[in-house]
Amino acid sequence: MNEPRPPLIKAPDSVWASLEAALNRGEKPRVERTRGRPPVLPLLIGLAAVIAAVGAAVAAYSWARTQKPQWEVVRVEGSPSIGSQRIGDTARIAEGQWLQTDGSSRALLNVGDIGTVQVDPNTRLRIVAARPREQRLALARGGISATVNAPPRLFFVDTASSTAVDLGCAYTMNVDDSGNGVLRVTLGWVSLEWNGRESMVPAGASCLTRRKIGPGMPVFDNATEPLKKAVQSFDFDNGGNGSVDTILNEARVRDTLTLWHLLSRVDSSQRSRVYNRMIALVPLPADLSADKILRLDRQELDRWNQELAWKW
Amino acid sequence: MSVVSLLEKNQAEEGPTPQADTIEACRRGDREAFRALYEAYKDKVYSICLYYFHGDASAAGDAAQQVFLKLIAGIARFRGDSEFSTWLYRLVVNTCTDGSRASRARARRAQAAELDRFPAADSHEDDFARAQQARRVQAALSTLPPKFRLPILLRYFEDLSYEQMASSLNCSMGTVASRLNRGHKLLARKLEGLR
Repeated sequence: MNEPRPPLIKAPDSVWASLEAALNRGEKPRVERTRGRPPVLPLLIGLAAVIAAVGAAVAAYSWARTQKPQWEVVRVEGSPSIGSQRIGDTARIAEGQWLQTDGSSRALLNVGDIGTVQVDPNTRLRIVAARPREQRLALARGGISATVNAPPRLFFVDTASSTAVDLGCAYTMNVDDSGNGVLRVTLGWVSLEWNGRESMVPAGASCLTRRKIGPGMPVFDNATEPLKKAVQSFDFDNGGNGSVDTILNEARVRDTLTLWHLLSRVDSSQRSRVYNRMIALVPLPADLSADKILRLDRQELDRWNQELAWKW
Repeated sequence: MSVVSLLEKNQAEEGPTPQADTIEACRRGDREAFRALYEAYKDKVYSICLYYFHGDASAAGDAAQQVFLKLIAGIARFRGDSEFSTWLYRLVVNTCTDGSRASRARARRAQAAELDRFPAADSHEDDFARAQQARRVQAALSTLPPKFRLPILLRYFEDLSYEQMASSLNCSMGTVASRLNRGHKLLARKLEGLR
């Protein structure tokens, strides 16, 4: 007999993006119940014990539920859902739960008492940690706008290609199905981190991220288009010396932000060119050592970063 | 074109069976090997999860992610006593069943309004009718009780033998045969209008 066969549905890229992010966080699968068909008699005996314990269990569950770290979710528009359940005007979302919006939905997350996250349409995110010392969500796809007023390194957004570490700021983060993203900072600073690679992004600047590569270099939004394209080419398309030439030619005083990141990402043969361009734009403070900077001494680079930041 | 013929192409879309060295590399924590396993099985795993959860892409994506997390966490314990696919689909069945237990609301029968939750199968825009029929089959399948739905999905997406299905579903071969038979009859009745 010919039988109707259901069509195979392709898994969306967001599944791998979420999976990869989970693996990078060292996440373990949820614990399963023990399986197998238990003997009937022990089951009946156990059932009696279970019934006797129901009252206590319900009380314990209720207590645990109230204690479990949660954020408040406010429906702004449409029908956001937690898991597969559409929410009302407000709801609570706990660690491990997914929040999803469709094309006509928006939501607002109250992140403890430290800030808010606006959730754009077509977004899927999960609450990873909702604790006083760590507030963390994983953005699988879509967009968010975060406004945080808290000590640095308390609020984190994981994606498949970076972790955005809040340093006291407001910003937007957008991620596509493949895990690539873009961060735009509107207030304060954000540190984008990935496998030892770090990009410091101040207000007015943006930074692209790519899966398997991590964050590129930050660029001010009012930089020239050739500079922006050259940075993208250098970061993600093996743009090489041609890209470096364009970046150096197009850089303004403010773009020493990008050059400071470029300094440690070019090979040694190009480093002195970048350095010379930087000191032509902003003279090196007298108490800093050019030798140490060219050797990529971390402390010296950080001190120079702090001086240059006055121009950013 | 009949529904029967237009939906019979799934077997041809199957990916390659993973080689022992891929599984071995995965055991050693090789991320690329894990990616290869994922690529080989992702569509089948996701499809089973999607049908199981009535076309709820969010629940299916979450379940598929859990399956592969369990795979990488437990592959060191996979000793090769059974076929890899049998072991993998046991993870799928357990994960779907657990997901259903965790949210009984998902276990409700699909309503007519939920038909649109299924993504359209691969089809060109000029083949709208074909896509519509395919979606009716998907929806009909999702209304079957889980105990009938899972054997049918395992058979169509992986073509497991009765013995393999019995192992994946943790039941006897006789039970598998019975559920497949009843599942097919139920499905055929729901699709009578399309034949």
